[in-house]
Amino acid sequence: MATATLNGTIYAEMVRGGAAMLGLNRSVVNDLNVFPIPDGDTGDNMFMTIESGVNNLGEKADDDLGQTAKAIAAGMLSGARGNSGAILSQIFAGISKGFEGMSDADIAAVCAAFECGVSQAYKAVKEPVEGTILTVFREAVDYAKTNADESTSLEAFLDNFIKELYASLKRTPDLLAVLKEAGVVDSGGAGFVYIAEGMKKALSGDAPELVSEHSDASSAHKVDITTFTEDSELKFGYCTEFLLRLQNKKTDVANFDLKVISDYLESAGDSVVAFMDGSVVKAHVHTFKPGDVLNYCQQFGEFLTLKIENMTLQHNETTIKNSFEIKNDFEMKVKPHKRYGLVCCAAGEGLKSMFLDIGTDYVVDGGQSMNPSVGDFLKAFEEINADTIFVFPNNGNIIMTANQAADLYEKADVVVIPTKNIGSGYAAISMFDPTGEPDEVKALLEESADASLTGMVSKAVRDTDKDGVSVVKDNYIGFVGSTIYSAAADKNGAAEGLAEKIATDEYGILMIIRGADTSREEADALARSFEKKYRDHEVISADGGQPVFDYIFIQM
Amino acid sequence: MLVLFTDTDTDVTPEVAKKYNYQLISMPYSIDSKTTYPYQDFDVFNGKLFYDGLRNGNLPNTSAIPVERYVEYFEPHFAAGNDIFYVHFSRAMTATFDNMDAAVEQLKAKYPERKFYEVDTKAITTLSYAIVVEVGKLFKEGKTAEEVLEWAKTEVDKYTMYFFADDLKFFKHSGRVSGIAGTMGNLLGIRPIIYMSQEGKMVSIGKEKGRAKAIARLLAYMDELGDDVKNHPIYIGHTDAEGLVEELAQALKAKLGDDVKYEVVIVNPTAGSHCGPNGIGLCFHSTRR
Repeated sequence: MATATLNGTIYAEMVRGGAAMLGLNRSVVNDLNVFPIPDGDTGDNMFMTIESGVNNLGEKADDDLGQTAKAIAAGMLSGARGNSGAILSQIFAGISKGFEGMSDADIAAVCAAFECGVSQAYKAVKEPVEGTILTVFREAVDYAKTNADESTSLEAFLDNFIKELYASLKRTPDLLAVLKEAGVVDSGGAGFVYIAEGMKKALSGDAPELVSEHSDASSAHKVDITTFTEDSELKFGYCTEFLLRLQNKKTDVANFDLKVISDYLESAGDSVVAFMDGSVVKAHVHTFKPGDVLNYCQQFGEFLTLKIENMTLQHNETTIKNSFEIKNDFEMKVKPHKRYGLVCCAAGEGLKSMFLDIGTDYVVDGGQSMNPSVGDFLKAFEEINADTIFVFPNNGNIIMTANQAADLYEKADVVVIPTKNIGSGYAAISMFDPTGEPDEVKALLEESADASLTGMVSKAVRDTDKDGVSVVKDNYIGFVGSTIYSAAADKNGAAEGLAEKIATDEYGILMIIRGADTSREEADALARSFEKKYRDHEVISADGGQPVFDYIFIQM
Repeated sequence: MLVLFTDTDTDVTPEVAKKYNYQLISMPYSIDSKTTYPYQDFDVFNGKLFYDGLRNGNLPNTSAIPVERYVEYFEPHFAAGNDIFYVHFSRAMTATFDNMDAAVEQLKAKYPERKFYEVDTKAITTLSYAIVVEVGKLFKEGKTAEEVLEWAKTEVDKYTMYFFADDLKFFKHSGRVSGIAGTMGNLLGIRPIIYMSQEGKMVSIGKEKGRAKAIARLLAYMDELGDDVKNHPIYIGHTDAEGLVEELAQALKAKLGDDVKYEVVIVNPTAGSHCGPNGIGLCFHSTRR
């Protein structure tokens, strides 16, 4: 029972089916949309938009395709919410234009109308971004049209259309880096896949019932305002949407140029969608200053509806869920993707957090007295979803293990920067600059590791005479690598002696990292002394909490 | 008559404004949603107090001033039959000048005979200050608006500023420095080096280890780009960093001789909100930015 022509009744059933299918799956779509561009909930927004189109049909069935499409489009325009909802409404507005004056349509006319939908949607977006619902819809229309002739049924047309929707949706992360980083497909595109599935089901009478959830759909979804505190930073601005009726006493309504508003929105924020239907302007923008936007736009008219939502708040309260499993063929990684990852070895909570503070992704527990295993490194690599991972062993005894792990790991390019001590690893990561190609990044890391000098102070475990220094058991020694430079009964004495030998003004920073057995008072006294003695250095104190080494000095 | 305007984001104080006959537009900042308009809500800027506040956890925001406020600044002068010449901080760093444009458009409709001139210093704080002062001097010499605009076409790009601060938190909060995003975390002792680009944006161009090397790098840029530096004004701008000012001044003298003249400028709080305390910049005449 193939359908050859589309009329108003069938079209209405299709859109109703699309709305119902999206309604059932809106939470799946919402979950795709949480990071890194929080924008309310795409699934809810798209659903409310299409539902508003269906509701505008009322109870009356109209066989006339043009009239039906027009009613749906008008309902969607006034109900459009969010970026994706706004674009969706424009797709259906374009389709409605394509069906204008037609009581029914054959496949060629359906193709043409869908193409109208593509061009109208692209026109509505100030700067169309590929890898979004725009791309997914456009590619599917192209594909379905190319594979259709006059004998193609509506069912076959939709089969091709849906097949390419899926294929295109899967490609969206390749087109849009933010999707790839977040490990998701485009949410608006995914929402449209559900709509198309529902349309297809409606043709065979299998569409689910449209369940209206007006109680929670019309009111803004509940937000937990405690997630935005006195100290929260407004990272994402406000999702701001409105319908504005242009006023004759404020502007020349008949000749109003939408650019006056869309250009302004573009300067005031991003994710801009703006379009005009008669004297009504529908606008959507993400801005840090919604007040400015409203003041500006009110110069030309008055608001019919308004919605402003704090996206940082929405983002904070939403947990990241990245599963999207219609047809089970979307397997997306959960960890955000990065170009470069950094792994190092360190022992002691303070040292570990020092490395994490400067941007290290993962710190493998280990050091002088406890060397990590190959497995520990592999586990760290697994935790990072990066193309290239740089590894800093920070100990001569760990370099070989790191190299073995690097050889074994296949999911990323692992590069070992053979740092022999904490200082060279810290210096290298401090100067990390991810803007270059892997070779350039590696060269800078190696250079920065070499352009540092690390000294240690530790307690001697036996008497010895080495490098011209007499050492008594339980005294403190200052050394670099295996060369002893100083010995003293107290740790600060050994530290002063070491610094006198190694501090040179070729370095700009002298960092003092105190170990677990060194008190804050001891370290502060040493820092004050160094600040007086080494004026060319910037003296920095840090709490490393490392075992074995009472002090680690890093000159860089 | 021509009425000169500048704004507080250029580090110009009421005294300097008076010296060069500038009207001063106050660019606000807010801390804990309390908004302050410099030189309207206070008479003298207490840099120590303000930057100590930042050291102790204040994280200010800045905001554009509304259209109506620009109208209030400009309209009396247009109404009196005067033209306006505004030397302002960088358009590329703010949306406030969209509001200004809207105000000027409104006023032009009302006063079609009146003229509005502007020079974009393509900078903020001390580098803008340098240009505002030069423009002020030109007008004192009797130059016309057209002559000054002609001067600005080439000379604005010939003042340059390189600077650094020590807490990335403020740069990140402000979001106004390009190239800083990749620099993650809290880098102890490492200074991002930033300059004002020809487009009027703050651009990070690398890092330097420690205070002394960072200062040496500012001077290295002076060596590389400087153009007849000694016969043009030199400015040191800082965000409550007297020690650094002293070090940089000593280094300047060592390089250019003890007779080198320079002026020390405290960075205004609104611009200082973007870079935080303990920052210093060197502004000099150059072949290019």
